[in-house]
Amino acid sequence: MFKKSMWYSILTVACVGFILLAIGFYQAIIVTTAINPQPSVKAPISLTTGDSTKLPSKNANSFQVLILGDSIAKGTGDEKGKGFSDYLPESFKNDTSKEILINNAGIDGQESLGLLEQLQSKKLDKAIIDSDFILVSIGGNDIRSILSLNALAKEDQFKVRQDSYLANLKQTMHLLRTDNPNSIVIFLGLYNPYETVNSAEDTRLLNTWNYNTQQLIEEDGKTLFIPTYDLLKFNLGRYIAKDGLHPNSAGYQALSNRISKSVETIITGS
Amino acid sequence: MFSLIENEVIKMISKKRLMFVLAILVVLISVFAYGQNQTLVRTKAQLSQRIGITATNDWRKLADQQLIDMKNRLDSPYMDQKSQASTRVKMEQLQYNLDNNINPLEQSAAKFTTTFMQQAIFLFLPLLIIMLAADMMSGESSSGTIKLLLVRNVPRWKILLSKYLTLVILEVMVVFFAFVLAAIISGFFFGFGGWLAPVATGFKVFAGKLDSSSVLNVPQWQYSLMVYSLAFFVAIVVGSISLMISILVKSTAASIGIIMSTLVAGNFISFFLSDWKITRYMFMVNLRLTDYLSGSFQPIEGMNMLFSVTVLLGWAIASVIISFMYFTKQDILV
Repeated sequence: MFKKSMWYSILTVACVGFILLAIGFYQAIIVTTAINPQPSVKAPISLTTGDSTKLPSKNANSFQVLILGDSIAKGTGDEKGKGFSDYLPESFKNDTSKEILINNAGIDGQESLGLLEQLQSKKLDKAIIDSDFILVSIGGNDIRSILSLNALAKEDQFKVRQDSYLANLKQTMHLLRTDNPNSIVIFLGLYNPYETVNSAEDTRLLNTWNYNTQQLIEEDGKTLFIPTYDLLKFNLGRYIAKDGLHPNSAGYQALSNRISKSVETIITGS
Repeated sequence: MFSLIENEVIKMISKKRLMFVLAILVVLISVFAYGQNQTLVRTKAQLSQRIGITATNDWRKLADQQLIDMKNRLDSPYMDQKSQASTRVKMEQLQYNLDNNINPLEQSAAKFTTTFMQQAIFLFLPLLIIMLAADMMSGESSSGTIKLLLVRNVPRWKILLSKYLTLVILEVMVVFFAFVLAAIISGFFFGFGGWLAPVATGFKVFAGKLDSSSVLNVPQWQYSLMVYSLAFFVAIVVGSISLMISILVKSTAASIGIIMSTLVAGNFISFFLSDWKITRYMFMVNLRLTDYLSGSFQPIEGMNMLFSVTVLLGWAIASVIISFMYFTKQDILV
């Protein structure tokens, strides 16, 4: 009797389970192979192409600043949601009465190749031509993933990444200069958000990276490399956001002040 | 036919094989859940040490900020169109965490249950199935009881079919119990909730690249149902193959050895996957079906969900055909 009831309960569980699992299997296949089930994705795309053309035009009474690059350019990590877009005009205002117009094209997680593709897509051409200053922050995402590797692999990967990064950067600069040979390109160096846990080896790699970037950037006379490493080294607690990676509000403010000090004469003079 | 299956199932249960499998599941799940719990505690400690604040309690601030960042990103005209869907999916998840006050660092029974099967699908689950399947036929041969089976007035194909269906029933039981045990045991560690949390899925492979333009959130329970269904499919395939081997090789030890070494070999043969094209037609490298759901894999040219399912199905059908042909024709000398 016990065996009989056991057999029936097993049979029931098996049948129900089989049907359930068959349904689940069908769903799993559908979800990974079916053609796009989300038609809503299309809508915002047509919207965005519309307002990218609506940029403020060149004006003698204004400074135009174009911000390019990764999440730091974008302003990620600022708990007030401001970033360079708001702090740069604030710092520039002390030196000039002109209006400061900001155009932020930063994309979170962007690597040097992404920036190059962004420029090659020609969408930004008008913004580049009109700009007086171009602030670029790129490279952090290129190098970040090698941090977890062991010492040997790190060295090799570093070389590979750096080579492709420098090649992309060179082309990026070339594109920027073909569109606008006169604007001041301000390039932000990398800092090390993991200063407290990192080894001397990592510091050496970071310095090499920054050094080579600066060499490449400043081949052109109208560019400026702004180091960030020194400003943040002992101030990580104050200037780094809760995510442990991006600058926070105070950090963006400090960097903006440093940038505006470096270009003070250009702003007041023109 | 029905009574034949009944007979087989009762035989398997009185052999205590299923009990062994369940006992292994209980022990291992407990160990994993305990380990996960330990890792969680360690991670929390490390995080709060590194960031200097108790990030674990402060996660709402961080999530709020991430949400604002992502919203800005979606509004940006320079946003890469391909990544819009994944950003939206991430926002939905964060919003859900905020609305329901769920710390994303915390584990839940639902998360654990799903991860457990995702990790078990390519080696652990097949090994359990082998335990059940490998001696179904060879066991009868080596103990001589196959004579008693065959002298009955039943065609041989019916005997084999009843064995096969019994195996399917047992596979359902293993998958079912794996789910129930994982949910209950991990529930004691992490609480029983989490079944409604959104999980991202819907990754596709286009032209050798992972395409996330159509990702969407499904509730956790549905996601785990899909994971366990894929696991069940894998169980059927591995079961069919090991049943075939157990018919071809009449010794239980040899049949377990063969199928186990094949499985283990599959784990390192996938190193050659990108260079040595023929390896992708082996069943062992196609067992990680759940990776297609979670999008956590390096896309390999020509491999996607349909491909893997077709390959596995091909192996299963071929082994069933070989089993039946061989078993109905073979001479039984005991």
